[in-house]
Amino acid sequence: MNKKTYMDKVHIWGKIWCYTALAVFICIPLAISIYYDAWPDAPTVLKAFSKVALIYWTSSIIEVITYTPMLGAGGTYLSFITGNITNLKLPCGLNAMENAKVRANSEEGEVISTIAIGVSSIVTTVVIAVGVLCFAPFLPKLTADDSIFKAAFDQVLPALFGALGASYLGKHWKISVFPILVGCIILIFSPTLPVGTMIFITIVASVAGALVMYKLKLIK
Amino acid sequence: MTDFKESPFMYAIAFVAIGFVIVQSVFFIVKAWKRAKELGIKSETLRQTVVSSALFTLAPAVAILATVIVLASSLGIVLPWIRLSVVGNLAYETVAAQTALDALGGSITQEVTDKVQFSAVAWVMTLGVAFGIFLVPLLCKKILNKVGKVVNKDEKSSRLADIVSAAAFIGIIAAFIVREINGKTADNSDNAGFLSIATLLASVLIYLMLDFFTKKFKWKKFEPFVMPSAMFGAMAVAILLTQYAPASLVNWTWWS
Repeated sequence: MNKKTYMDKVHIWGKIWCYTALAVFICIPLAISIYYDAWPDAPTVLKAFSKVALIYWTSSIIEVITYTPMLGAGGTYLSFITGNITNLKLPCGLNAMENAKVRANSEEGEVISTIAIGVSSIVTTVVIAVGVLCFAPFLPKLTADDSIFKAAFDQVLPALFGALGASYLGKHWKISVFPILVGCIILIFSPTLPVGTMIFITIVASVAGALVMYKLKLIK
Repeated sequence: MTDFKESPFMYAIAFVAIGFVIVQSVFFIVKAWKRAKELGIKSETLRQTVVSSALFTLAPAVAILATVIVLASSLGIVLPWIRLSVVGNLAYETVAAQTALDALGGSITQEVTDKVQFSAVAWVMTLGVAFGIFLVPLLCKKILNKVGKVVNKDEKSSRLADIVSAAAFIGIIAAFIVREINGKTADNSDNAGFLSIATLLASVLIYLMLDFFTKKFKWKKFEPFVMPSAMFGAMAVAILLTQYAPASLVNWTWWS
């Protein structure tokens, strides 16, 4: 019998964790309904759910296809269970692979990405838990409109993507100009376009631009 | 009387969900760590990965915590805490809660006092994100095998796969960057303008400066701290600007 490789095992573990997670998560609203004897009308839930599903189920498909090759197997299974992928787990995994100088599509990349995303998940969970349990009474003051820290909380995304952009876009500046230009032009005409849709557009623009440049031998 | 949204029962659910996430993360870290040692990756590299990932996570985690606090005014602290610790997403949860409350005749700015309404919101928020977890076991192996075949075909394919992979990630970063350059939110609460562009540029400049000094003076140990330092530095610049720059400039956006 063939011995299972590390990657085979990761897929087996991942599937078990994902299906267990699915069961645990569905049990959360179920437990609330049972404990409080609070059963909402199915049509009401379905009406709200259909609006949410329309946006998020579509983006889930795009996210799974797009992020999996970058996160690796372990990173993907972990990220989709712990959430906050685009704004945290993906940049964190890629930053770790960059620092360790390993490729995303190698086994070295796989283990580094898994460790980084695992650590990120634990730190996020601990920060939120400590924040909720110890600082909940004070936090509204920190994030209130008149707090001096409000600007910092409001500007987390430009701070994160600025640093990430400097690291990654700097190395691949030839590829980066086109998707940024395309994105900015689209926002002039459709400024409220959700980031989920924009990601799809800029990825297509970036990959298409890169392939053309590769054909023209502008990048090697 | 204890608010039902923050009862010991709700806290018990939160501890189970959070325990699940931590156990799963530790499981994968231990397995990956053992494999990394077999592959000959140095302990120093692994330790640096842990430290830099933990630091990298701090600022976004605090931003996620801020979202928990925002949602707490209507849903209590525990449900948003659970939702944003497992599967949840900073952008998704607020929209999901708002959409659910809209359909139920409520609003995110009002406290939910009805148990049925509260339970309905919990159902909608959970079912909305469950699809991703359902899809991953079905698609992950297939996608990686396909990518693996392309990458390992020959050297040219491998190089092309690296370029496509880099380009795809650049596409993701570009979407967020352009959002901070000239994006707009439907409720005008977070439009791009002076402050978002200044923070973005500050982050870029601080990163480049720290990266330059780290390389020039061979501060190997500081390398993992470059990105988190740039993030915190840019957030500090945002605070300084709101405190000392003219309000008309700080509040200027393309869409005001």
